[in-house]
Amino acid sequence: MSAVHSGAEFALPMALAGGLALALGGAPLGVLLIARRMSLVGDALSHGILPGAALAYLIAGPDPVAMTIGALLAGFVVAGLSSLLARTKRLPEDAAFAVFYLSALALGVLILGRNANAEMVFDLLFGAAKGLDTTALLVSAGAATATLFALALFIRGFLAESADPVFMRASGLPGGLLHLLLMLLVALNLVAGFRAFGALMTVGLMMIPAAASRFWARTYVGQAGTAVLISALSSGAGLFLAHRFGAEPGATMTLTAASLFALSALVGSNNGLLQNLPGRTHLEG
Amino acid sequence: MSLVRLHDLTLGYERRPAVHHLDGAFDEARVTAVVGPNGSGKSTLLKGLAGALAPLSGRVDRSGLKPNQIAYLPQDHGVDRDFPMTIGELVGLGLWGRRGLFGAVTHQDRHRIEDAMSAVGLSGFEDRALGSVSGGQLQRALFARVLVQDARLILLDEPFTALDARTTDDLIALVKRWPSEGRTVVMVLHDLDMVRDTCADTLLLAREKVSWAPTEQALAPENLLTARRLSEAWSDGAGICHRDHAA
Repeated sequence: MSAVHSGAEFALPMALAGGLALALGGAPLGVLLIARRMSLVGDALSHGILPGAALAYLIAGPDPVAMTIGALLAGFVVAGLSSLLARTKRLPEDAAFAVFYLSALALGVLILGRNANAEMVFDLLFGAAKGLDTTALLVSAGAATATLFALALFIRGFLAESADPVFMRASGLPGGLLHLLLMLLVALNLVAGFRAFGALMTVGLMMIPAAASRFWARTYVGQAGTAVLISALSSGAGLFLAHRFGAEPGATMTLTAASLFALSALVGSNNGLLQNLPGRTHLEG
Repeated sequence: MSLVRLHDLTLGYERRPAVHHLDGAFDEARVTAVVGPNGSGKSTLLKGLAGALAPLSGRVDRSGLKPNQIAYLPQDHGVDRDFPMTIGELVGLGLWGRRGLFGAVTHQDRHRIEDAMSAVGLSGFEDRALGSVSGGQLQRALFARVLVQDARLILLDEPFTALDARTTDDLIALVKRWPSEGRTVVMVLHDLDMVRDTCADTLLLAREKVSWAPTEQALAPENLLTARRLSEAWSDGAGICHRDHAA
């Protein structure tokens, strides 16, 4: 399947701009998800968008705008239903997501089964940077702008609700709404990236730099800034490698991010492995 | 004058009462202890007073207090120690009620945070990460947050558990000052000496009210004995409570 795509088929500047948009919007969300111990929710949501994209494909053919809207709607439905079920306290949040994303995935497979070829499924999950046209780039830029705008407006609420949900609920904070908004933003960013880099690889660029950032900073702002930087670096280097060697860009970007994670875990200034080697001199206080 | 009145209040989980048909009132600008054996409904009562748990029946009349005028420090405080946040930011959450989602934090607010941290002996801890302080220091920070909240009703659930003597003394001194500032305090405690020293009134609870009176009277030996006996009368095979239907 991978032979279908050639790295030379995508325009590097366009892809770099798309990667940068994803870094700006996705990485700060990734930091929030990790802080809330919801690292796998992005993964679940990325599968959840499949039936929407598939249904749009069935109705409108391989039309990028229709597929984006379909994926977005499916992502919102999965995020909304999972959050709602978890909020009723009937089920832990990860279990709620498992129920809905697996159902969505099955629905997507059912829809695609008779109507699409393997290449299309591959593109949906793992991406095809050749699909990064002006429309896709505008969607990515729009998602990044919307995300940063929402974060700037609501970050105090997101952080408060994540750090101490009991206190914030008692103080009258609309925690459920903020939580839903966060899930919708995650879905928006996944959809923005999925056509170029694939739904799964987009999650990688959202979560791996966020995980790496914990080895460099202690506060949310510090971690979010570091995660954006690592994500942008991963995108740039990964896209360059893919372009140079004709590889899948989503995969090279994610693996670059993984390499930077390993480096951070080793030499990071905040609790990196080398910081805590046995025998190192201890501090005074 | 009473600030919070309970009217035939039953609180619980999955239709099982943890606090059963409780009537009474918490007087304004007083410290009331809630005392009772394990499983007697003390924490559930505080949750109900805070509005974090809806009654199974009956009601809580809070004299029109808004959620941001109530400070609630639960026993299991729920603060995630791994969360990327500083102690100063945690204390600053107390501003939530006044500043909301979008309100700017003023110069005065920053002073309020500094003063609160100084009052609990945490000056200089503003930039420390949540995960880097001890359990006692975190509890001090949560008290500082209560100070920043500037609430009229303060609910504390076993606030001194696992704290050293110095920290406990410091925090008790704060609590004792609150009535003179017009604040009403309801506090779950186990140490009866501390209750006698700190709290004007005591509610002795064993799912039902055993006594709700000035502390010395409430903690009379016969009341303590009754509380112990009642709390052991819990039954897993309980049927429908007919007092609800009679009411």
